[in-house]
Amino acid sequence: MTATETAGGLDQLLTLASQFLAREARLLDEGREEEWFELLDDDILYVIPIRQATQPRSDEIDRSAYRLRDTKAHLRTRIDRSQTGLAYSEVPPSRTMRLVGSVEVTGAPQPDLVDVSSALLVYRQRGIDPHYDLIPCRRNDRLRLTGDGVRLLSREVVLTETSLTTPNLAVIL
Amino acid sequence: MTDHPPTPPAGDRSARLAGLLERVEEQLADDLVPVEIFNDEDVFRGEMERIFTHTWVFVAHETEIPKSGDFVQRRIGLDPVIVTRDGEGGINVLSNYCRHRGTQVCQTDAGNSRFFKCPYHGWTYSNTGELVGTPMLQRAYGERVDPTDWSLLKAPRVESRQGFVFASLSEDVPPLDEYLGGAGWMLDLIVGLHPDGMRVAGPPDRYKVRANWKSAAENFAGDVYHVPNLHASGEQVRMAYGIDGAADLGRSYEFENGHNFMGHAWTEVLGPDGVLWGYPPRVKDHFDLSELDETQLRVVRDEPPTVGNIFPNFSFIRVFSPTVPGGPLVAFTSFRQWQPIGPGEIELWSWQFVWKFQSDEDALEDYVTGQFQFGSAGIFEQDDTVAWEGIARAGASPWARKAEMSFHYQQGNKSEIDQSPDPDWKGPGLHRLTGYGEHNQLNFYRHWLKVMKGPEPTDVKPTGAAPTGVEPAEVQS
Repeated sequence: MTATETAGGLDQLLTLASQFLAREARLLDEGREEEWFELLDDDILYVIPIRQATQPRSDEIDRSAYRLRDTKAHLRTRIDRSQTGLAYSEVPPSRTMRLVGSVEVTGAPQPDLVDVSSALLVYRQRGIDPHYDLIPCRRNDRLRLTGDGVRLLSREVVLTETSLTTPNLAVIL
Repeated sequence: MTDHPPTPPAGDRSARLAGLLERVEEQLADDLVPVEIFNDEDVFRGEMERIFTHTWVFVAHETEIPKSGDFVQRRIGLDPVIVTRDGEGGINVLSNYCRHRGTQVCQTDAGNSRFFKCPYHGWTYSNTGELVGTPMLQRAYGERVDPTDWSLLKAPRVESRQGFVFASLSEDVPPLDEYLGGAGWMLDLIVGLHPDGMRVAGPPDRYKVRANWKSAAENFAGDVYHVPNLHASGEQVRMAYGIDGAADLGRSYEFENGHNFMGHAWTEVLGPDGVLWGYPPRVKDHFDLSELDETQLRVVRDEPPTVGNIFPNFSFIRVFSPTVPGGPLVAFTSFRQWQPIGPGEIELWSWQFVWKFQSDEDALEDYVTGQFQFGSAGIFEQDDTVAWEGIARAGASPWARKAEMSFHYQQGNKSEIDQSPDPDWKGPGLHRLTGYGEHNQLNFYRHWLKVMKGPEPTDVKPTGAAPTGVEPAEVQS
């Protein structure tokens, strides 16, 4: 019997996952990327596939096509770049508010792994923009439970939009 | 500050546009470009009517629609078009407006279908555009609605070069190869060095940027001057090397019809490793150079094109890059299109390309590296979007307009660098041994002006002596 098959186990995992997602959202909103980076597993794979308007709907997401497909080294580089002070898309950093909701534990394939689906809406106001951008998406995450705490092992970001209305993905989703 | 262009004053808008173009002509004579062309309703309308409906525009790569029935939805200017592969293997570029009431007969970005049925009343068209069905025919119409008159509008001209499909909404254009001229010659070198060619790595990465389409086009035409500044962070995180030399190593190619490319003399800094774009041996060892002449060999070996723009809105980039800081070097290839949405808005469409002969693993590495650099999440492209959005805001500025502000394109005037065309150049167009000078950008805008003004008696080329001064790259040797 796995943890998700008992009500108590599920509550525990849901709390764990919700706390994790809320914490990383706050760290990113507060510009604490280094602390966020500490939450990543060394084997993390962070992917945003391309989405199109298709019929049937099952063809919408092409999982062999990417807006990005980042390993930990890629994510490290993004953060290093933002710290140069010369990454002009985020100079100054966008004011963001990540709203996380609809958190659902969808599986626990191993005792130390938890699959979590969540909805994310990022409000972004960049630099001196007179407008704001919204980035809606759903995330399918796999968390690893370690002795040091919860780590993000994989993340698939399914963007709601086929064509982004924010001019770049210089913010982490 | 606003993203939106001011409402043009009441009155004759054609006359207003003509006046604006007069100012552009006067300013361009001094290597200046008036700000208002970057965010103006009348200019934008003129561009739709005079450029995008009257010239060759890229619509798809053949590898996006390999099978019978495959289609992708694309744009020519503001018009949605369906690009189809029909049962005979032919490619059709169809208007996506039903002939009955105009509803879009195709509501998806891509797919496979022999027919397009309008959701409104059900008029149905084959994937060649022919009207093949009207519901309740006898009761509604009594006789067949004649497909000769009532099929989808179809682009009258569709031609390909190296798998790149272009369409023209005007019959009255030269053949694609003639229109591309030197740009076609360059395309052959970029994707034709292996007999199997290249393919799209996936569907386009699409994102809206509040910029004017010309800002993106002129950047890719050959603005290497911005690289050491805007993209300095790329070098600081070791995702690029030696970018301070981006303009010094630049080697410009100016072609007719407003097409431009910029090469880089990588071998000057990298030695033999820099030949053929700096591709790793596992890629460049597959290239077949046996058919190339001396000039073509010089280009691909020593001064390969790294960016370029085919007029009006189709661009290219191929740069070598580590996969991650300290990682192995690959070279990625992206083609991109600046889809005009409004005077100050584009949708940026970016495709990564990979060689068909590459293993899945190698192709994925190039694809992912390309997206890490140039795409909606690309660490280089992210910063370009900010710069370009600023231009459109300036273009909408009431003060800038009142002051008749122009932008500075005078880099070629007093520079200490010899920017004259290479006298030994035997290829098409003009070649310069520097990336300084903003010559490519001026070539782009001079062609833009020529098309926007339309044919005039003074545009007729004299027989005998070549015209001078107006548009160097138009001069045919």
